[in-house]
Amino acid sequence: MTLLDLAGVARTYNDGHPVYALRATTLTIPEGSYVTISGPSGSGKSTLLNVLGLLDAPDEGSYRVRGVEMAGADEALRGAVRGQLFGFVFQAFHLLPGRTARENVEIGMVYGPSRRRERRTRAEEALARMGLGHRLNADPRALSGGERQRVAIARAVAARPRVLFCDEPTGSLDSANTANVLTLLRELNNDGLTVVVVTHEAEVAAEGGLRLRVEDGIVTTHTEEARAHGFT
Amino acid sequence: MPTGSRKRRRRADLTTLGLVVPRLRLVDVLAESALSVVRHPGRSLVTALGAVLGAAAFVSVLGLSSTLGSQVSDAFDARRATEVVVNADADGPATDAAWQGGPALKRLTRLNGVTAAGARVRVPGQEVRRAAAFTATTVTAPVVGLDPASLGVVGPRLVAGRAFDRFHEDNAVPVVMLPRTVADALGIARTGVAVFIADRAYTVIGVFDDVARQPDTLTAVVMPFATVQPLAEGDVSDQVKRSVLVETSPGAARLVASQAPLALRPEGPDGLQAVAPADPQTLRREVEGEVTRFALLVSGVALVIGAVSIGNAATAGLAVRVSEIGLRRAVGGRPVHIFVQLVGETTVLGGFGGVLGALLGVVTTGAVSLYNGWVPVLDLRVAVLASLGGAAAGLAAGFVPALRATRLQPVNALHR
Repeated sequence: MTLLDLAGVARTYNDGHPVYALRATTLTIPEGSYVTISGPSGSGKSTLLNVLGLLDAPDEGSYRVRGVEMAGADEALRGAVRGQLFGFVFQAFHLLPGRTARENVEIGMVYGPSRRRERRTRAEEALARMGLGHRLNADPRALSGGERQRVAIARAVAARPRVLFCDEPTGSLDSANTANVLTLLRELNNDGLTVVVVTHEAEVAAEGGLRLRVEDGIVTTHTEEARAHGFT
Repeated sequence: MPTGSRKRRRRADLTTLGLVVPRLRLVDVLAESALSVVRHPGRSLVTALGAVLGAAAFVSVLGLSSTLGSQVSDAFDARRATEVVVNADADGPATDAAWQGGPALKRLTRLNGVTAAGARVRVPGQEVRRAAAFTATTVTAPVVGLDPASLGVVGPRLVAGRAFDRFHEDNAVPVVMLPRTVADALGIARTGVAVFIADRAYTVIGVFDDVARQPDTLTAVVMPFATVQPLAEGDVSDQVKRSVLVETSPGAARLVASQAPLALRPEGPDGLQAVAPADPQTLRREVEGEVTRFALLVSGVALVIGAVSIGNAATAGLAVRVSEIGLRRAVGGRPVHIFVQLVGETTVLGGFGGVLGALLGVVTTGAVSLYNGWVPVLDLRVAVLASLGGAAAGLAAGFVPALRATRLQPVNALHR
């Protein structure tokens, strides 16, 4: 089943002169895929992720989530989709200092439909799954880089999203922690979660079933699977 | 597209996607505000500082001004506000002493608001000499005759001996009370010695150094009203002044002054003139009005400075919270969530600062009053008002930074 569907989507930044961050892109991402987006710095891979994650709006084209048009949608709808269908993991973790690991995970659900007690239970379950059941009350400042990223992943998955967007999730981690995070992402994908990862590391990019490469705002693919999914 | 149909479309889209219609749950958003405030005590304190100082200034300025105001009123009430002097006009009954007599004074004391009334006669400059022949010291001082009631009105503060009483008055006993200045000039250090005035001996029975009313008595030799009569009648200078001193209840002075001449001399009240001090009520109201206006101005300015300070601190704090705001937007927070949370934070901090500042102001008012021996007068509603003012200042101050925060695009906020 098609989950995310881009048709002729383009994003241009106008900073004195136009910068074509993403040129007309047509792309279909089926439910349950493991997508990796790689490319050199400034190629537009993060722009693609931001457009897909509704963190940024395209200037042209159509973007459908489960068949619902998102181009021109108001902030209430975009916010609801981000909060309830999508989860995000960033290179910089974006954990709030002064809040415990559990409270940080709860923030991922605070604007959604779940109640306080439910949020707490889900946060504890998500952290336990990330192997952090013993660090529920730790301040992020007291955690290692690997642990912080696992708290961030717990925050992203606790709300039970359908798509997990990861922007350079292993960019700040050593090889051991990178392997750990990749295993977690693989497990989540095996459970049916669609995973979209932006990376500049070949090792991480190789994980994808659908591998995309972005250069100068143009998206290309190296896999047969991609062609089978209608990418042209 | 009209708002109604846009809402319907959004609802339909959300249903298609299997999502819940997002709502603003105030409890959750305010709980986030509270956590942000509690978990960052340093940042919170800096933000609340403006409200603390503003409220403390508000309460202590108003507290101290009302305390001082009450000190001033006490002084007014206890002294000048309760005094009326009835004098004979220049063309009035200078020698006709009937209006100073017992029946006239009795009529006067029956008036509402009169607590005491007595006669006084003032004889100008007399030579006062000590009895001992070998000291040639003489002092020229006016002689004032007071009956026991008017002596009470004048209220001399004795430093030696005693005051004369009804016995001395009834028997016209030749006794005097000297002000300290005259006693010192004559070299009199104790009572019981005699002084000579117009070749007649008087026994010094008391020395005083201050009076409650009629401060010109501080330079005069004081003796019983009856005792001074021969002196007054013998005086040819035409400078003898007769009057009636009245003590009234607080606030009654002006009314008593308007009625006293008629009570003392029903047959010819025009010949008498009653003098009451400027109405202390009006004066006090004017003074207090000025003080209160000034205090309110200062306090208002303090609160405004507090509000600006909270706004500044909140805006500065925003710079380090950009990524937090980006994250909140990424996980589904709408601009209204961010706005309510940030305004909630500044309101809570403003209110907290207001309470803390109000307490500080109460303590300051109490401490300054204690140090100066004043009775602290503070309307507790002022403290409540200061706390509410702090919260209101926080609410107002939060608007600008919160609005700015809502304009941040999540993609920009997350990558800063």
